[in-house]
Amino acid sequence: MTSETLERSPAAAWPSRARAALRAPGLVLSVVLLVLVGLAALAPGLLTGQDPLTGVPADKLLPPSLEHPFGTDQLGRDLLSRTVHGTAPTLRAALLAIAIGLVPGSLLGLLAGAAGGVVDDVLMRVADVLLAIPGLLLSLALITALGFGTTRVAVAVGAVSIAGFARVMRAQVLRVRESDYVEAAHASGTRWPGVLLRHVLPGAWGPVVVFAAVEFGTVVLAISSLSFLGYGAVPPEPEWGSLVAGGRDYLATSWWLTTLPGLTIALTVLAANRIARALDRGTGEAL
Amino acid sequence: MGRYVARRLLQAVLVLWAAYTLSFAVLYLLPGDPVEIMAAGGGEVTEVTEEQLDAVRAEYGLDAPLAEQYLDRLGAALTGDLGTSVQTGERVSAMVAEQLPATLQLTCAGGALALLLGSAVALAGAHTRRPWLRQLLLSLPSVGASAPTFWVGLLLIQLVSFRWGLLPAIGDQGWRSLVLPALTLALPTSAVLAQVFAKSLRDALREPYVETALAKGASRARVTLRHAARNASLPAFTVFGVLVGNLLAGSVVVETVFSRTGVGRITATSVTVQDIPVVQGLVMLGAVAFVLANLLVDLVYPLLDPRVTTGGAVAR
Amino acid sequence: MRFSLSPSSPASSPSLFPTARRRPAVPAALLCGVLLVSGCSSAASSSGSGQGGGEPVSGGELTFALASAPTCADPQQAGTNDTIYPARQLVDSLTDQDPETGEIVPWLAESWEVNEDATVYTFTLREGVTFSDGAPVDAEALRRNLDGIQELGPRAPLALSYLTGYQSTEVLDELTAEVTFERPNAQFLQATSTPALGLLSPATLEDDPADRCVTVVGSGPFTLEEYRLNSFVRQVRREDYAWGSSLWDEPEGPARLDRLTFEVIPESGVRTGGLSSQQVDAIGGVAPQDEATLEASGLTLERRANPGLPFSLFPQLERPIPADPRVRQAVSLAIDRQEVVDTVLSESYRPATSSLASTTDLYADQSDLLAHDPAAAEALLEEAGWEEGPDGIRERDGQPLHLDIVWGANFGPNQPSLELIQQQLREVGIDVTLRTVTIAEYNAVREEGDYDYAWSNTTRTDPDILRAAFSAELANLSRVDDPDLEALLNEQNASVDPEVRGPLVERLQRELLEKGYLVPVFELTTVLGLDGDVHDLDFEASSRLQFHDTWRG
Repeated sequence: MTSETLERSPAAAWPSRARAALRAPGLVLSVVLLVLVGLAALAPGLLTGQDPLTGVPADKLLPPSLEHPFGTDQLGRDLLSRTVHGTAPTLRAALLAIAIGLVPGSLLGLLAGAAGGVVDDVLMRVADVLLAIPGLLLSLALITALGFGTTRVAVAVGAVSIAGFARVMRAQVLRVRESDYVEAAHASGTRWPGVLLRHVLPGAWGPVVVFAAVEFGTVVLAISSLSFLGYGAVPPEPEWGSLVAGGRDYLATSWWLTTLPGLTIALTVLAANRIARALDRGTGEAL
Repeated sequence: MGRYVARRLLQAVLVLWAAYTLSFAVLYLLPGDPVEIMAAGGGEVTEVTEEQLDAVRAEYGLDAPLAEQYLDRLGAALTGDLGTSVQTGERVSAMVAEQLPATLQLTCAGGALALLLGSAVALAGAHTRRPWLRQLLLSLPSVGASAPTFWVGLLLIQLVSFRWGLLPAIGDQGWRSLVLPALTLALPTSAVLAQVFAKSLRDALREPYVETALAKGASRARVTLRHAARNASLPAFTVFGVLVGNLLAGSVVVETVFSRTGVGRITATSVTVQDIPVVQGLVMLGAVAFVLANLLVDLVYPLLDPRVTTGGAVAR
Repeated sequence: MRFSLSPSSPASSPSLFPTARRRPAVPAALLCGVLLVSGCSSAASSSGSGQGGGEPVSGGELTFALASAPTCADPQQAGTNDTIYPARQLVDSLTDQDPETGEIVPWLAESWEVNEDATVYTFTLREGVTFSDGAPVDAEALRRNLDGIQELGPRAPLALSYLTGYQSTEVLDELTAEVTFERPNAQFLQATSTPALGLLSPATLEDDPADRCVTVVGSGPFTLEEYRLNSFVRQVRREDYAWGSSLWDEPEGPARLDRLTFEVIPESGVRTGGLSSQQVDAIGGVAPQDEATLEASGLTLERRANPGLPFSLFPQLERPIPADPRVRQAVSLAIDRQEVVDTVLSESYRPATSSLASTTDLYADQSDLLAHDPAAAEALLEEAGWEEGPDGIRERDGQPLHLDIVWGANFGPNQPSLELIQQQLREVGIDVTLRTVTIAEYNAVREEGDYDYAWSNTTRTDPDILRAAFSAELANLSRVDDPDLEALLNEQNASVDPEVRGPLVERLQRELLEKGYLVPVFELTTVLGLDGDVHDLDFEASSRLQFHDTWRG
């Protein structure tokens, strides 16, 4: 990942980055799209006035039109509204998954990097094992044990990324702890926890955040895949993956039911990845 | 060299043991009673007594203390016995052996297609001198990596199979029915490959020998293909293990979407009915595939790049 | 699933060597190549069949696509309908049931007698019948089968529930056996017509239950060639078969098809597409929305409403809100059954008109008790003290009128149906949460009782399904504590005389509705899609399938 890079003062790079962004229309579009997605999650009422849960049975399976830009589903519910209202549960699950990977992962990485020796060895071997099981399979095993539901799916997906976060954090800690200012702090008598908190953590944070940004796309895909397989959202809660899953029985007659929510997932992940890449490059250049 | 190989083998065995332990911990320590499944009988009205449930529990060894269960199962797993399916009573090893050929077909076809697509895009991107085309080609992988596999599969079924009637969507009817699922499976993997390959191609093309070759009058295509591509494929080769894992995991979704038989579909159904021994067997299959692939990389890599033997492991 | 945009590079830096050595992927590629080729060569023929008019012809093959995987090839261990379809073909039953009249007719048993209080059944078997391994079908085989089901325990959920109170089977002579129950069991005669009580070879009964799933041997018109979990079941016809049910076209002869293959295709869209493109010859579980498309493209649809309990909401009577009979009535009145059928299902389906589906024996039309009347529902809720709240959800003492409904995904349209019901209940001010659970969890959740209503159905031809569902000694789906009902449930199982039993079952259906012990919504219909040249694929009385007479041409 970005284990080679180090960010010292992220704030200083912002103006130049903003200027660079204007030269990259794809990036601007991505930001706009993610802002829309964020808006859909926080204030769905701004983007659609229709009820996502109550439909008009007589208006079932209408193709996209001005009144229903995404068409209607088998119960006559507006699909655009369902997609917009499905953003919040999807994003909530994705953020929860990232938090579940980030917090314990970073702590373990910090511990491994700071303690070194046997602790480091043991923790990193455990991380190796976690990485040796394909992510989706490990998530599926966790779901088998935990049961179904959006939150459980988020936990299952997040747990898989703990090892990744631990590795990134550890690499940063190792790098930062060698640097002059940390050695100086150490030499001046500050004790390890203090050094970790005041010097190592802020320095290592940047790449971890970038890793989180990259993971975001992966996590959204994983969550929607698991929802698609039927382990996620509870009906009638509209969640992106389960919207696609619900539409597949109508594949032969009503294309919009699968195509449009799926496109929403794809575009969101694409935008998130584009921004993550820009962040990644940003931290690289700031060095 | 001998010590290097021995160490790699030992490491592989240790990782597998740890993966077994981890999957046991996840599946057997958490709540959920698989015996209920049999009694459920597909959701029909039935009447089953607690004694009868206990008898089945005893039969599967689910009433023993956990430590004992763990040691028993680990011992059995060493001899290739992964237990029996709670849902069907079949041996897990037999189930996997039965379904594996279909999945290998799919993953091999998908892997080959991914290799072809990924390297074609990366090479074309490195070769072209038109900036807009390069931009377009190099942005293709991120598009491929962003599209959910299940959605791509459904789109292909809808368009190619239903609307245009070009290829069948269904079953195991020879190569024609393999095209769409393999393509679906290949897409995200080819995206990863293209990204890795494009990056190492870019690095390779900056090496001094490239300029030397160009100065000597070699054509640009020849330099890209003969010199840079060869060197650049080395780093790409090291993600082999990850790709094998991705393909296997991807088969869960692809086999479900296309109603194909195989280990992926067993995985999905076993998770649905919480058939714990089967899920554990399949998790282990994934770990074995990953470890074997990495072992292969570790053993072959030094032959390609002798400096590695003295250094650390190949990462990931 | 897990990949990153720029995966960490290997330990070494890019090589400086201009010439790479041998391609490492070669062995892997070879292996793959071999597999691909073998895949091609092994895949071949879909069945071709002769042309011809209305006369049945013998020969040919048929591939039937199932919606879900059969869990076992052994009919005694079968639970789901998709498990029963293939398993049924391997065995014969003592009796058969006429799907038109409900009459029990001879099959393996030539004749039978039932004593007055339905505790002793005497069967006389026909002569000369053998299992496909050569063993005779005799009274001793019958005894070992019925005893064996007790040993199977929870692995034989359906069969076990048919043998409630089983005491013993006595062999009177080679072909006569006497089955005795501890208490009256009138439904047993009908139960002997089901595949769950189909007879298996004594050799099979000796086997481990798990092994039986792949090696089961019966006396039926087809024999098992290969059963592969999650994939297919292959069967071949038994050439010397000559003891069919008296209901069939040619009971004295073998099946018409040479071979029968059941494939598992879970995706309904893929299944429909497979039938249209003739990759399979017949499919089960046709999705309601695909029916019109299939018929428009010249394919045949076969439909039959399943007998038993319709898809219904079962209240958890120990919970405070459903404990109130007025709320239960309001729930029933608020549901517009016709709208559910029109929106989510198709013309093949019927709204429920009684506690029993219309094809069940002794069914009585009670649609007057199942009217849609939201105004009456609201009045009842008002009367019960549930006042309209600010957001349209009714409240009483600050507590919202909230119902938790659990359901499992055993039928495709379950989810949209329940979402529509949720919407209908919302209109009279009832807030509903839908909770999906796995089949495994479903029974556990029901045992715990942590819900207000549960959604399910059951297929059974005999009205005794009501006792199996509501008796305090059996499943007791609604947690009824009602001695009057219990007495009635047992009374109807004590008499084999329809003249006596009929009025009792009629009263039972009415009482269940009036007391709101279940809220039936619609009847499950088995919908098959058939290629134009498939004929005489027969429904049994239970709406399950019988392939003996099926032919192509």
